[in-house]
Amino acid sequence: MSAGRWTAERSRGVGYGRPSFAFLLNAPSLVVIVLLVGYPIAQSAWISLHRYNLKRPNVFRFAGLDNYASILASDEFWSALWITAQFVALVVGLVVVLGIAIALLLNRPFPGCGVVRALILVPWAIPPVVNGLMWQWIYDSKVGALNGALFALGLIPEYRGWLSDPTSAMLALVWADVWNMVPLAVILLLAALQRIPGELYDAARVDGGNAWQLFRHVTLPWLAQPLLVVLILQTMSAIRAFDVIYVLTAGGPGTATTTLTWKTYLTTFDSLDFGLGNAYAYTVSLLTLALALVYFRVLYRRGEFEA
Amino acid sequence: MSAAPADRLSPAARRRLTQALLMLGGLAVAIYVLAPFSWLVMTSFMHERDALGVPPQWIAQHPTLENYRTFFDPGGADKTGTRAIVGSRAAEQTLPGMANSLIVATGTAVLNLVLGTLAGYAFARLRFPGKSWLLGLYLGSRMVPGIALIVPLYLTVKTYGLLDSRTALVVTYLTFTLPFTIWLLKNYFQAIPRSLEEAALVDGCTWPQMMMKVLLPAAAPGLVAAAMFAFMTAWNDYLFAVILTNTIAAKTMPVVVAGFATDVTTERTLLATSGVFAVIPPLILAFAFQRLIVQGLTSGAVKD
Repeated sequence: MSAGRWTAERSRGVGYGRPSFAFLLNAPSLVVIVLLVGYPIAQSAWISLHRYNLKRPNVFRFAGLDNYASILASDEFWSALWITAQFVALVVGLVVVLGIAIALLLNRPFPGCGVVRALILVPWAIPPVVNGLMWQWIYDSKVGALNGALFALGLIPEYRGWLSDPTSAMLALVWADVWNMVPLAVILLLAALQRIPGELYDAARVDGGNAWQLFRHVTLPWLAQPLLVVLILQTMSAIRAFDVIYVLTAGGPGTATTTLTWKTYLTTFDSLDFGLGNAYAYTVSLLTLALALVYFRVLYRRGEFEA
Repeated sequence: MSAAPADRLSPAARRRLTQALLMLGGLAVAIYVLAPFSWLVMTSFMHERDALGVPPQWIAQHPTLENYRTFFDPGGADKTGTRAIVGSRAAEQTLPGMANSLIVATGTAVLNLVLGTLAGYAFARLRFPGKSWLLGLYLGSRMVPGIALIVPLYLTVKTYGLLDSRTALVVTYLTFTLPFTIWLLKNYFQAIPRSLEEAALVDGCTWPQMMMKVLLPAAAPGLVAAAMFAFMTAWNDYLFAVILTNTIAAKTMPVVVAGFATDVTTERTLLATSGVFAVIPPLILAFAFQRLIVQGLTSGAVKD
């Protein structure tokens, strides 16, 4: 907004230009956000500094940073952190690779590409709980489609319990989450691809660039900003993944898919340890924040991202 | 791609080869996207014994509408034994769950539009101290994982006696969806020429009249997109719904479906049908507003 316009507006004496009006317009939203996000965050921090277990509801004793200390000292935390790191890295990696591949494909005109572009919205529209349910059956050890298909193709000698082996359970969970998340990446990347001026490619071709060089030096830099958005959105949603874990693996087998979010849920609503649970929740929030900052810094430094 | 052999082909043949490869890729994507989902839909048209068959039936060999009928007519005469028991539970919860989900998601969308329009307008058109700070506050509130808010929210909702109510869910979802709505509407409002509203104001319209008659109609696509995203978020949520609701008075579809999914006695075909129900509204919206969704999702994420 230019300063000139602003003064013109004011000199005309239109009352709607005053700051108080802007605050009036913002008041309802601000109240909602402060009351339902700000206040809970503060209360959550307060609870995390206390011993507070619903199994002994009358005890609410200040404990300082004891909950955080016991988290950092527990193997469970480090195990959950490592599992979260694997889950997030796999999901984000696959979403980015598949997202770029599908977006590049759909960016080219071919008969039926409009239909495929529309179909890509299907996984996006499916609620995560239904997604988990759907994959639960596909992975089923007795009657699942995955077993049926792989067996029919002769790729496996016998049916397997995909969700009962730690490694395959993790991969199965990742794949299910990726299926749900890929469309968003495709949509964002495809929109960016469609804005690349054709002259850029022409110029690069004149300079004798091959397909890989075109991709590396024209397409990829152009995708830096949408990729940052995809990275941030996917990292946050992978750290938060809950529904699909709840339905598909419930953190198992053993603790093979017990991510920090799932561990927070278990501590809070299974052990009913609200004090420790909130300390876990805070740890998850701080990690999310730290990661977002790292992404911003890395991409800002390279000068490829402008807000 | 295989550069050497392709070089030997004529340009026309090369173009045909490229087209064929692209179509093959497109087909692969279509299968990847559709296959898992169509199996769910297929299962909802199967008899239970077919759904439990080995090897799995890719196409229902004895297609039936029985599963769907069970939901609309739980007391139907043609059911026996376990089906009657399990089926009636599934049937009892699914339709009320759909109603709850529709009410909660619609309520969230409507409130989003009202609050989002007001705040979005302020960010798009007005200059005030702390503007970018406030927008940062809104957007930053989305960085907090839901799991970190759930305990205090649960305690608050409990204090006000709103546990197991649709109101509590609407208000909760409003907080998650509002920041994005404000951001989206701000962008849409900014894209509308100022001269439009200035003309209306000069003509003697009051601010609310100008909004209703000029700006909001011009921003209609943005409003539809914002309402849709809010609706989808509210429709999809499981974590808050499962913690804040107990009974079918407020349980939403994801809670109902997850309840069946983790219950070993549930019949798969009924569960699949209930899953299909849960997918229908978002799927209809996704296809009806495909262009607006893509526009909305990319707004802000892609440089102009």
